[in-house]
Amino acid sequence: MVRLVLTLVAVTVVAAALLAGVDLITAPVIAERQEEDYRSALEEYFPAMARYESKELEEDSFDLVYDKTGGLLGVMASSAVQGYDDQISYNLALDRDGLILGLRIVEHSETQGVGDVIEKPEFQSQFLGRHCRDPLQLGEDVDTISGATISTEAMILSLRRLLSAAAENFFDFAEEAPLDIAALPDGVYRGSGEGFGGEIGVAVTVEGGKIIDLEIVEHNEKPTYLAEAVALIPPQIIEGQTLDVDTKTGATESSAAIVSAVREALLKALSEEEDSEGGESDG
Amino acid sequence: MDNPYLADITRGIFKENPIFRLVLGMCPTLAITVLIKNGLGMGLAVIAVLTCSNVVVSSLRRYIPEQVRIPCYIVIIATFVTIIEMVLQAYVPALYAALGVFVPLIVVNCIILGRAEAFAGKQPVLRSLCDGIGSGVGFTLGLLLLSVVREIFGSGTFLAETNYAVQLFGPNFEPMRIFAQPAGAFIVLGLLLALTNIVFKRLQID
Repeated sequence: MVRLVLTLVAVTVVAAALLAGVDLITAPVIAERQEEDYRSALEEYFPAMARYESKELEEDSFDLVYDKTGGLLGVMASSAVQGYDDQISYNLALDRDGLILGLRIVEHSETQGVGDVIEKPEFQSQFLGRHCRDPLQLGEDVDTISGATISTEAMILSLRRLLSAAAENFFDFAEEAPLDIAALPDGVYRGSGEGFGGEIGVAVTVEGGKIIDLEIVEHNEKPTYLAEAVALIPPQIIEGQTLDVDTKTGATESSAAIVSAVREALLKALSEEEDSEGGESDG
Repeated sequence: MDNPYLADITRGIFKENPIFRLVLGMCPTLAITVLIKNGLGMGLAVIAVLTCSNVVVSSLRRYIPEQVRIPCYIVIIATFVTIIEMVLQAYVPALYAALGVFVPLIVVNCIILGRAEAFAGKQPVLRSLCDGIGSGVGFTLGLLLLSVVREIFGSGTFLAETNYAVQLFGPNFEPMRIFAQPAGAFIVLGLLLALTNIVFKRLQID
């Protein structure tokens, strides 16, 4: 009996001692490496970085990055979310205007070949260049990846929360004014949006504070998809005089691209009026 | 075969192949064989742990009483796995990032406990070493076979996420996702088991 206990104690004590020894050697190396990785990610997003200052907010931490003269270069936010399998921890880089520079997955254990799409451009590219006040509506301006819905939806919801926390605390900008179509000066305005095959360019004709015509001037979409989007989206916009239309068609990406192209065209129109340059349009 | 050491090695690869003959260590086998890279990484880690644990178990076999041998084996195995995990994380971070989740899983890989119990606990150190290498290599070959099939059909790639990645089919190829899912793992494993049974019968290996 005593021998049994002694053997077990001896084995576990030796094992614990070995592990403690290895940990003593490797722990600083591991910590240093993680710190290094994070720093090199910071430098990649903010090449002019001179120093950074950390701020903790509830669940997230934010590093405010400054250049040599003390000017703010941007914010690196760190957060974590429950994914399909376990916690996904990630960093999000925002430039000083609040635009997303990059998304960096630090650690995750999502299914290989399925949920790990969160690490890939296929999923990440849709966030690049977005503003921290963008609504990131599921299925409208951002999409989950089918087959990996749980992982990608968790990421999108968490990003949305992180972005609004960042917007509230670090990017004190006025809310984007809603588009006032009635205030638009007459003219034909062009804009473009990213479709499935590439840019979709539109020409929007405004007359008397109303959108009266909407034409696709360039595209690289499959004709069948484009035809479906064209049949559904422009009539909705023209009839409703709104950009708040349902883009859930058989050609969601092309449809969304048309809407964002129209938005870009109209914003251009509005800003031209504010600059009182007026009528400088393609029409 | 006359040479017992050589026999120990080849037995683990063919006659007592952990995956196709003993059907041991199925949990990691089914979980990780989505990509060839994972299969190979897991296999190499198992070879390392299995060889180390076999040697230590065998050299302690006279001092460990029968009644507490299993807890002792588990502690030994877990210790090696944890050491390998820490060393990988510190010095080979690329491999650690690739294997990440799967390294701790090796502890519960019953092929390791199985070899400790069935072989290393009773045999001399050198033969246990050979058995560890043989079983480890056999396990790795089995993982590779499974992951090659699953990656080709499930992702349409070969050696994805490595420097030698090849896209096998055109850009419009829609991979058969089922092969990347657990259900596909069972299907492929079943088919491969049947296939190896036929081959082994023909060759009269056992």
